[in-house]
Amino acid sequence: MSWSGWIFLILSWGLILGVVIFCVVRALKEPYKDL
Amino acid sequence: MRERWTSKIGIILAVAGSAIGLGNFLRFPSQAAQNGGGAFMIPYFISLLLLGIPLMWIEWAVGRYGGIFGHGSAPLIFNRLWRHRTAKYFGAIGIFGPIAIFIYYIYIESWLVGYCAFSLTGTLRHHATREGMLAFLQRYQGIGSSRLFLYSYLFFLVTFFVNFAVIYRGLKGGIETLCTIALPILFLFAIIIVVRVLTVGAPNPAHPDWNIYNGMGFLWNPDFSALLNSRVWLAAAGQIFFTLSVGIGVIITYASYLSKGDDIVLSGLTATSLNEFAEVILGASIVIPLAFAFFGHAGAQEVAKSGSFNIGFVTMPLIFSNMSHGMLFAFLWFFLLFLAGLTSSISLLEPAVAFLSDEFSISRKKAVVLIAAATFVLCQFPIFFLARGVMDDIDFWAGSFFLVVFGMVECVLFVWVFGIEKAWDEIHHGAELYVPRFYKFVIKYVTPSFLILILAFWFFQQAVPTFLLRGVPRENVPYIIATRVGLFGMFAAIMVLVRKAYRIKFGESK
Repeated sequence: MSWSGWIFLILSWGLILGVVIFCVVRALKEPYKDL
Repeated sequence: MRERWTSKIGIILAVAGSAIGLGNFLRFPSQAAQNGGGAFMIPYFISLLLLGIPLMWIEWAVGRYGGIFGHGSAPLIFNRLWRHRTAKYFGAIGIFGPIAIFIYYIYIESWLVGYCAFSLTGTLRHHATREGMLAFLQRYQGIGSSRLFLYSYLFFLVTFFVNFAVIYRGLKGGIETLCTIALPILFLFAIIIVVRVLTVGAPNPAHPDWNIYNGMGFLWNPDFSALLNSRVWLAAAGQIFFTLSVGIGVIITYASYLSKGDDIVLSGLTATSLNEFAEVILGASIVIPLAFAFFGHAGAQEVAKSGSFNIGFVTMPLIFSNMSHGMLFAFLWFFLLFLAGLTSSISLLEPAVAFLSDEFSISRKKAVVLIAAATFVLCQFPIFFLARGVMDDIDFWAGSFFLVVFGMVECVLFVWVFGIEKAWDEIHHGAELYVPRFYKFVIKYVTPSFLILILAFWFFQQAVPTFLLRGVPRENVPYIIATRVGLFGMFAAIMVLVRKAYRIKFGESK
């Protein structure tokens, strides 16, 4: 795999993992008030 | 009293389950490999930000807004957004589309159950060549006469029953319970397979360069020249559209079971990000890298072009047959795909169930039985006329074209007719995350323009040739015409029901 392939892979995975962790942690922390 | 979700994670996983389907594992990697590799991620992420995420928020907001008035399906929700006599008929697409997709999707889902069984019994190991595996698949599908088709039909009955058993048990006991169990299992199985894939190394000693890292390179090495091709941008936008389950009407129905003060911004984003995790991280790391490691560069290219069915049901079992403990991994593969399919197919039924129970005030169980009877009859057409192209034709109209039409209609109604200020406020009711202000501009101008562009391209590139039956073998023409007449009849019947529901709710003057 070329260095540019690695960059695309790391950026894509990093971005998605970052958003997943941020969202899931916040969503679990703040359940709906009236559920 | 309408049902409600009992937990936030329940609805997030239900929406994520609806979005995560076979396309995440089969369609995305082949699209990326064919359209510029790593460079494909540039139009892909741009489409996600400008098309997918805004549409996702719009559908959540439209659904929650409709739920306040006791509506759980698009027809009468659209009527609330736009007090015009035609609005409800546009909403009919939101019931027609999911049901039409369901009647063929359930059959594909049942193949996965069958292939799970064939993995456990080791049957798949007996077909050592691509031709052999393809012939097995075709016999299983009933193309040509074979006793295998009886098994196929039996597995269809089982899958059909499982789907309706889940939906019959309701929101909490059925959909929410299934998704909170199935999604973690799906992720776990996918991670196990990805770990196995990444440790495959170079399986063919005669070709040490056929290894998994070059396979990842085949998928991720960017070809920047692809960015100059409009087809690549269209493919990326199309992939985002399909993968998020927007434009079907399912998210509207799921969100209608929320209360007015429940957050939708964070929940929508969480469901979207889980779908992207399944697609870009897990889905992209299995099929294409494995195909490269086993068949080399030319073989992987061929696999990428061969279409989702071939990848899932021919290439993958063939590869697993050549791996140690291959049948165990084949089982994990087909079972995770089945869970992905199941959580999607039950969501396809919910708009029709919500429509009957909310607008005609009949019990959920009665609505489920009625829909089961109707869809069981309709399912027979794609099953028995698969070789005549019936499934492909339904897929094009219900699973592609009307998706974009519906997405555009809901976007225009919510943003332009209902009004961007009210829409913006609606999105932010109870929000636990504030949407950046520039998204107001994106939602108002960019997303609708993007949708019009996609629709125009598809209309001329695909809809016109498809409508004119170009490329359809002469012997299949009567079947395709009959399919379209049937779809039109189905749509007309739904429109009649929508009119009746409207009269019941609003007592329309004659």
